[in-house]
Amino acid sequence: MPENAARSLGRMFHLISGAIEAEKDHLSELDGVIGDADHGITMSIGFMAVNATLARLDMETSTPAAVLSIAASAFLNAVGASTGPLYATGLQRASQALADSCELGPVNQAAMIAAIARGIRDRGKSQRGDKTMLDAWLPAAEAAQTAIDTGGGLTMMWQQAIAAADSGACSTRSMIAAKGRAARVGARSLGHIDPGAASAVIILRAMGRTFCPQQATIRVVSSVS
Amino acid sequence: MTAKSPLMRKTGGARSSPVEVAETIPLRYGDDPYVWACWLYYEDGMTQGDIAQTMGISRATVNAYLADARERGIVNISIDPARLSSLTIAQQLKQHFGLQDCLVIPSDDSRPLIDRLGNAGAQALQKLLKSGDTVGITWGRTTLAVAENLALPDLQDVTIVQATGGTTTDFAYTPELCAARLAAAVNGRCVNITAPALVSSPHVRDILMAEPIVIDQFAALGRTNKIIFGIASMRPNSTVHTSGFFESVSLQQYLSHNATGVIAGRFIDEHGAPVAGPLENRTIAIELDMLRNVPMRIAVAGGFDKVPAILAALRGGYVSVLVTDAATGRGILKAEGVSEVDQKLLARTRLEPPPAHAPRTHVKKFINDPADVVDEMLEGAISAHRQYIRPVEGSKRALIARDGPRPGKVGLVVGGGTGHEPCFLGYVGKGIADAVAIGNIFSSPPPDPIVRCTEAASGGSGVLYVYGNYAGDVMNFEMAAEIAKERGIEVRSVLTTDDIASSPLEDREGRRGVAGNVFVFKIAGAACDKMWSLEECERVTRKANARTFTIGVALEPCSLPQTRRQNFEIGAEEMEIGMGIHGEPGVMRERLLSADAVTDAVIDRIFAEMQAKAGDRVAVLVNSLGSTPLMELYILHRRVAQRLTARGITMHASWTGHYCTSIDMTGASITILHLDPELTELLEHPCDTAVMRIN
Repeated sequence: MPENAARSLGRMFHLISGAIEAEKDHLSELDGVIGDADHGITMSIGFMAVNATLARLDMETSTPAAVLSIAASAFLNAVGASTGPLYATGLQRASQALADSCELGPVNQAAMIAAIARGIRDRGKSQRGDKTMLDAWLPAAEAAQTAIDTGGGLTMMWQQAIAAADSGACSTRSMIAAKGRAARVGARSLGHIDPGAASAVIILRAMGRTFCPQQATIRVVSSVS
Repeated sequence: MTAKSPLMRKTGGARSSPVEVAETIPLRYGDDPYVWACWLYYEDGMTQGDIAQTMGISRATVNAYLADARERGIVNISIDPARLSSLTIAQQLKQHFGLQDCLVIPSDDSRPLIDRLGNAGAQALQKLLKSGDTVGITWGRTTLAVAENLALPDLQDVTIVQATGGTTTDFAYTPELCAARLAAAVNGRCVNITAPALVSSPHVRDILMAEPIVIDQFAALGRTNKIIFGIASMRPNSTVHTSGFFESVSLQQYLSHNATGVIAGRFIDEHGAPVAGPLENRTIAIELDMLRNVPMRIAVAGGFDKVPAILAALRGGYVSVLVTDAATGRGILKAEGVSEVDQKLLARTRLEPPPAHAPRTHVKKFINDPADVVDEMLEGAISAHRQYIRPVEGSKRALIARDGPRPGKVGLVVGGGTGHEPCFLGYVGKGIADAVAIGNIFSSPPPDPIVRCTEAASGGSGVLYVYGNYAGDVMNFEMAAEIAKERGIEVRSVLTTDDIASSPLEDREGRRGVAGNVFVFKIAGAACDKMWSLEECERVTRKANARTFTIGVALEPCSLPQTRRQNFEIGAEEMEIGMGIHGEPGVMRERLLSADAVTDAVIDRIFAEMQAKAGDRVAVLVNSLGSTPLMELYILHRRVAQRLTARGITMHASWTGHYCTSIDMTGASITILHLDPELTELLEHPCDTAVMRIN
């Protein structure tokens, strides 16, 4: 029996949480260089709370939009910080984008990435080049859309989205933070990958593994983690 | 000059033994002919020939003495560290990017960077420009500063060509002016491009570019053998935005295509590749390819916000001579991953080799499960301070004062992450804050507990939020304020920005809030308690914040309970000035100083901003960042008091101890609140909270 869309999203959040958990210390270390060393911990708390809340939900009768909306508030209430409002707004926008859908095909998956990216951008009043998670999310959203527009399949879409996110995250190395606490250390942020961009890549990879049947074929050589 | 030695004895070998000339050496040099030779050479400025005569030895011996003296360490040649460091950076940049030449000026905050770059650019041009040159020039603040600083009236037959069309009139550094100033400085002919730099459509551009006069002008541009240009970044404060010349809609499109910098009105990405966009076919200016073919391409640009843009220009091969400043140069090398530069500089400026790091073990802490730290701490705090605070609707993350909110009173809600104890819950009670929203360690609380606090603190006359200026807190408190508004509660917010080391004065609003929170909370709470209106409470809180100045200094980093590892490293002989209350790296790292010297460094900076006159009154807070004991705080306090007295400033009140911490960080912060009669009255207003009591 094929998995319903809500269940896929539940599985997606499980995979994200697991991937974040595995990279938790690495993310905190990245953050220690230019921030307050808690990024891995914060992300881990957030996605664990999402899983805990979704576990109480009846996935058979839930819509994708409902799952995303519940995940948004669970993440926000568990985390606060700056990632809380950013990802909560992103997930809330994704929920709105999928309001009338019961399925999660490639087009809706691309729409979900785009909505998350948009939500993060609007809430953080940030732009590309500010050395934030947007430097991974925006390129990923564009690459996913381009793959869809050019008739690329599911695997190709995720491959290109993840590759774009990865190269975007790497390019934060030569950027100077304009937002968040890293902005206070000025030029010292140079040469370091933004931890928010690094975790965005981890999330996108986990999302790719959720939806891509040939998950093993998603091999993006990464210089991020 | 030294008198000639009466004894003229030639020695045969180049390396005569000291004994041979001992009897002739003036007493003050001891028995050491090396010292004598060095003195005559370096201090008296004599030639080696004169020294040979004076000492009665051969010139070859003098030469050998001088060489040996350097090897033996009798003479140390030292170069001013700032100059040495710029020189090292310049060499590295030259090597790494294969530049023809590179000039790096030492960092110096006493003069505006644009002036210094203009000066340095002019200095470079004095060497580089020759008679008969045809020189292109773009426009911008730095470019104009270069032209204004230059004077080369002796050059002949130089032609200066404006490299872009003309721009709007609402800024001073136009292409016409840059070209005209440079032409005047070199006594040359000036060729202007008499078309706009940006036209309304590609069609208009094609028409203009086909005009014989414009064709002629571009032909002159094609003959340039040197070009001088600035590099603009895409950052919000760059010329690209502030000149208002480029349309912001188009800029967004360029940004979405990874535009990183602008040269001559043309956009490049981080690798220096041209970025196509809506302005491209409407721009009348030198083409990037054409620019790259000019034999000598002199870029003058600096400021660390320009690092990505300059790096892009270097990667794209647009620059053959770079003029920049040391901080920017170091940033470029760091971004490019050339790490030796820091090591080299460190190796040269360090007197002793850095001590090898002892392997760090986990920091010991009184905790149970690391995941429970915040909740267990709050349980304890609620029970310890139960006479002052209680949970709102059972939530430990939203605490309310037992004696606080009342009808008609403006409610004061504060909040932030944990790890700063006794901030923020220690200031909840009668006369200060009515409620506190509490987040995870170093993380803002989410909107939900803030909204609960808002509702619990509301007495029908509005609620004031006071919290530190951090991106996370701003987003969550803003979301909470929106929800509160929907529920009919008017909210005003004041962000504390007392950490004067975190940003320069021009960016006051971008500064972070640290221990000065305590004073701002106290003033705000008193105003609320006196039943002032929301507007008045907000006004006086803003005033208190504007008159509160803090600088923190860390000696050792803090460690989070979850990792139990130190957040980062501070070297054995170092301290970090400007340390925030989250253990973010500070803004300057310096050699460890004595307590008095640290206090002086902090107080000098505070005085420079505070502008207090003799007879003014202040309140002082000497605060531990966690591990620093009272013993040391008192030593700091003593020096603060001495400095205030010396300036004739009265210390009206003072607090010393743990008021706003960063878990277990070793370090302290000094806060000064510049009082006026209104603030003095509010500071003295009674309050009764867990850590602050005034009767």
